[in-house]
Amino acid sequence: MTDRLDRWADPPLLVLASLADEPKHGYAITQDVAETMGVRLSAGTLYAVIARLEARGLIEPLESEDRRRPYRITMAGAEALAQQSERMSKVASVARERLSTRLGWAGA
Amino acid sequence: MRSPAAPLLTRAALALYPPAWRARYGDEVRALLEDSGGRPAAVASVAWRALPAWLWPRHLHDRPARMRASLATALMSWSMLAGLGLVFAQLTQLQGLIAPDYPQVRWAYAFFDGSLALSALVAGLGGLPLWLLMLRRTRREQRTRDTVYLFLPVIAPVAYLIGLIVTVRLVGGANGVSLGWFGAVTLAGFAAAATAAAGPGLALRRLQPRGPALRVAATAAGLSAAVMAVAAVAIVVAVVSLCLWARQFSGYHNFTAPGIYVALVAVAATVTAVSAARGTRAALAQP
Repeated sequence: MTDRLDRWADPPLLVLASLADEPKHGYAITQDVAETMGVRLSAGTLYAVIARLEARGLIEPLESEDRRRPYRITMAGAEALAQQSERMSKVASVARERLSTRLGWAGA
Repeated sequence: MRSPAAPLLTRAALALYPPAWRARYGDEVRALLEDSGGRPAAVASVAWRALPAWLWPRHLHDRPARMRASLATALMSWSMLAGLGLVFAQLTQLQGLIAPDYPQVRWAYAFFDGSLALSALVAGLGGLPLWLLMLRRTRREQRTRDTVYLFLPVIAPVAYLIGLIVTVRLVGGANGVSLGWFGAVTLAGFAAAATAAAGPGLALRRLQPRGPALRVAATAAGLSAAVMAVAAVAIVVAVVSLCLWARQFSGYHNFTAPGIYVALVAVAATVTAVSAARGTRAALAQP
């Protein structure tokens, strides 16, 4: 069941969250997302997401000496991430509250 | 564990992507796959995402790159559509196939002729400044290969026509050439059209022009594709009409061969229209 719920994870949001603290290249993003958020992003998915985020001006590429080009979140990307995080936080808050009422669950 | 075939598989997976996507992200994806071990599943995930990259090209946020890629694709599909149109003309109006009680066949012929000529004129006039701009640069920088690419739209059709005349003289009879030779000549015609279209496409990719001439060419491609869509509709109307009401003519007894032909026309027209529309949108978008 946990695996199925993982599919709900929004890859663009995961990438934005990964880049929120510092620029990272592709492999570093996949490692960070796997370690901190528990979601494994495939190479195909990651670069489809990078292309989409870059097209929308939410991330930008940095100069690189080798093939591992790092990406940085833009101001627009940070705002989008903040808005989405706020929404998710509200959803999580409501879910926790209702679960605790119904099942006596106090959360992790 | 890294598969020994990984570099080959990676290259094959990346080959499925649009050239502009490969140019932008290919090296990065290759590096990512190397860093993560190049497992077949990871390579498969890259291959799986190639189709959306063609259908919804989000990677071309660089407007000049978008216009160049659209022009190259639209030029190729337009050439294929023009080739299909010439086959249509050869197998219908040039054979005198009409359905006397159904004037829409004659109208379709007239619409096709006018649309094809107008579309070629718009594409030629709109693309001329860009072609001259690239030609001037190839001469200034002495880029012989790119000069050849730019002249392929002239060289390939002329070579084809010379070959066609020689072939017809050598193997043609009182009733023209045999069906086999007709097929060979037709295939050679499509090869010549593809070569003619590939030349400017390669030059666009290598020279990477930008500026007003590129915008004019991309806008003209949109107009040309719109007019060519009329020609494609005329083809479909004529072929379907002949199948319905002129079944006495050879090749129109049933829908099999005409159906395949109409499907090819529809695919070529769709690719031309979509690519040209994307390029025109990039040309008209606010910077």
